[in-house]
Amino acid sequence: MFSGYNLAAYDEMFGSDRTPRPHYAPLHDRLIDLGPAEIERRHKVADLTMRNQGITFTVYGRDQGVERIIPFDPIPRLVSAPEWDRIERGLKQRVRALNLFIRDIYHNRSILKDRVVPAELIFGASGYRRDCLGLRVPKDIYVHVSGIDLIRDANGEYLVLEDNCRTPSGVSYVLKNRQVMKQIFPFLFEEYNVRPVDDYTDKLLSVLRYIAPDGCSDPTVVVLTPGMYNSAYYEHSFLARQMGVDLVEGRDLVLDRGQIFRRTTRGLERVDVIYRRLDDDFLDPLSFRPDSILGVAGLMGAYRAGNIGLANSLGTGVADDKGIYPFVPDIIKYYLDEQPVLNNVETFRPLVPSHRSHILENLESLVVKAVDASGGYGMLIGPASTKAQREEFRRKVEDNPRGYIAQPTIQLSRHPTFVDGHLDGRHVDLRPFVLYGEDVFVLPGGLTRVALPEGSLVVNSSQGGGTKDTWVLQGTSPADARRASTRPTAAEEGP
Amino acid sequence: MLSRVAESLYWMGRYIERAENVARLLDIGLFIELDSEIGPGEGFAPVEIALTILACRDDFPMDVSAPSRDAVLRFLTFDRANHQSILSMISRARENARGTQEAIGVDVWSEVNRLHLFLGGTRAQRKFVRGPSSLFNAIKNSCLLIDGMIQNTLPRDEVYHFLELGRHLERLDVLCRILRAKCPVLTQQVEDHEAPMQLVRWTSLLRSCSAHGPFLRSERERIEPEGVIRFLVLDSEFPRSIRYSAARCQESLESISGGDEDAYGCEAERILGRLESDLRYLDVAEIFDRGLLKFLDSLQVTCHRVSDEIQRCFFLM
Repeated sequence: MFSGYNLAAYDEMFGSDRTPRPHYAPLHDRLIDLGPAEIERRHKVADLTMRNQGITFTVYGRDQGVERIIPFDPIPRLVSAPEWDRIERGLKQRVRALNLFIRDIYHNRSILKDRVVPAELIFGASGYRRDCLGLRVPKDIYVHVSGIDLIRDANGEYLVLEDNCRTPSGVSYVLKNRQVMKQIFPFLFEEYNVRPVDDYTDKLLSVLRYIAPDGCSDPTVVVLTPGMYNSAYYEHSFLARQMGVDLVEGRDLVLDRGQIFRRTTRGLERVDVIYRRLDDDFLDPLSFRPDSILGVAGLMGAYRAGNIGLANSLGTGVADDKGIYPFVPDIIKYYLDEQPVLNNVETFRPLVPSHRSHILENLESLVVKAVDASGGYGMLIGPASTKAQREEFRRKVEDNPRGYIAQPTIQLSRHPTFVDGHLDGRHVDLRPFVLYGEDVFVLPGGLTRVALPEGSLVVNSSQGGGTKDTWVLQGTSPADARRASTRPTAAEEGP
Repeated sequence: MLSRVAESLYWMGRYIERAENVARLLDIGLFIELDSEIGPGEGFAPVEIALTILACRDDFPMDVSAPSRDAVLRFLTFDRANHQSILSMISRARENARGTQEAIGVDVWSEVNRLHLFLGGTRAQRKFVRGPSSLFNAIKNSCLLIDGMIQNTLPRDEVYHFLELGRHLERLDVLCRILRAKCPVLTQQVEDHEAPMQLVRWTSLLRSCSAHGPFLRSERERIEPEGVIRFLVLDSEFPRSIRYSAARCQESLESISGGDEDAYGCEAERILGRLESDLRYLDVAEIFDRGLLKFLDSLQVTCHRVSDEIQRCFFLM
């Protein structure tokens, strides 16, 4: 089963001596018991289930969008309880700090006055929204839902690669992957005590109800989607279904005397909170892009008047900007007076002269990223690049130093993955999801994305990445618990 | 409920019902064609008449004077360019279901999605080549499974009633179209030697509405025109009869608008109530006196008016 398995980078399952790490040992043994043919068979069942349930995303680029399922890898990724404890603390800290940062940026701007973050970086960030200046948002929460991308370096240390504070997607796959895993590998759950993820939508609904306008005791919540042809439509629909709320499109909503209503078969009915899965720019054609037909005309006015709760709030994209990213450790220290629990990846900024020369001299070994791009677009992976690509990025960096950052090429950790009928190591990352309402909640698990082509470091689903179920472990496994418990005495029997 | 969602549910109900009816119609048509000698000049062959029933004869890409049976079957089953093909209808039902997953639930949605994937895939093509009947049966069964899930998993709220409204209005409309298309041949005077063939036609009419067995049990008499028409149009208990469908539409509309028995909430409800009471007190002889064709035409007009009013009252806000 594992013959010919190559160790490279940090392997999640195996130590450098090729023995399974303790928390992986039971999984390792069961996989060997199962054998490739059986895994293959169960893998097919998983694919069929996902296809029939329409758990798909839309790929653009052809004449019309094509629906695909995201490749699902049946080998779960395990996170031990101590590892998770650290991740959880780190994420809570980071999201609290980012939230305070966004609030500060749109109000007092003390962090700019104290010159911790250069002001020109803020005003040049594509996610910065001037319309949000002085805008009070319910409970002072901006980032209600976030997905923070983590990677592990060669030593196994978890590092933050990217913050997603706008409309991060993928959580539906976390929940769906778990359901499918229970269906195809029920017995694996016997070996482990896996923390459940099912309560995510319940927690999300609580957050949304928490930010309802004042005086609204039983708020009506809706999920706003750009529509059926959006690549994450399945997720929008899934979340609405799980929360038991309406999934609306812009055309279902209307503004009347400062309030937002939905058009129903019984006339207009008031809406109090919108979980919007639509970018800032498309939300309100009156305030932002006038050509947007996806949003609701006048929504900004209702928001400003405090008549509607919006998650996430507007203008949170400023925290996603990769030009701001290198300052997040300082942001944490500034607002919380704490050391960051989770470190950033070392980052070079072309705006700093010494960094710029380092970048330009080492393009072959660095990863260069556009500050406002995501989804694996607009980046150069030095070691895998051609001379022409490096020249292109050299010009880009020289012309627009604000627009790029560079990082050392990190060999993301690898995980056994089922490819072509056998197990092989593939690079993975981890996107945990964080909710911010009355309290900060980190979903125990997250989306493990896996780069399926051999050696590839790009895990994005838009670039052919797959996903894995992620198990956060706790306490003793059900099997151990049973072994430990005393057996009941057998009932007496006669001749 | 959101108007957009209500509209999607209504059309999903209609398309699934229509697809099921077309599958049944083609299956029975094929069956009759295979076992009888239908000469030319007797009107359209049983399979081909589906083109008339679905009003898509003009879209048929080949020579309409003598189309091959296989070409017609494929055109009505798989042709994406033909809006009335089963594949097109299931694909539209699926689009509507996709936009309302949170309302219909994962089971119903998955089955609609599965049927759509099946029809667009190679397995359906293979089944068709091996024998279209097994394909039509698979389609019927899937449609019935979807209905079974709707009946057994959905609460009787607006979601359910918009689906039901669509389904029963479509059922009424399709039966009307079938009768309208077959009526000229069915009601012509025949010579004695043609009588057996005429019996086959009436039987096939009953079968294409799943009404053969129920008719025999309820009427306990020979298959003859007045009895069949009475059963298909006026029977109060047969779930595919026009009267039964009209009553279900009426019920669903009442639930949706929350009106009481003495008042009506919208124009569609009034028209349907009127139709339902007409059907309740009509005598089959009166239909034949008025002229079956004329009666069916006015029924079709009523059906369209109801559809327009539903559109106006609930979807265009």
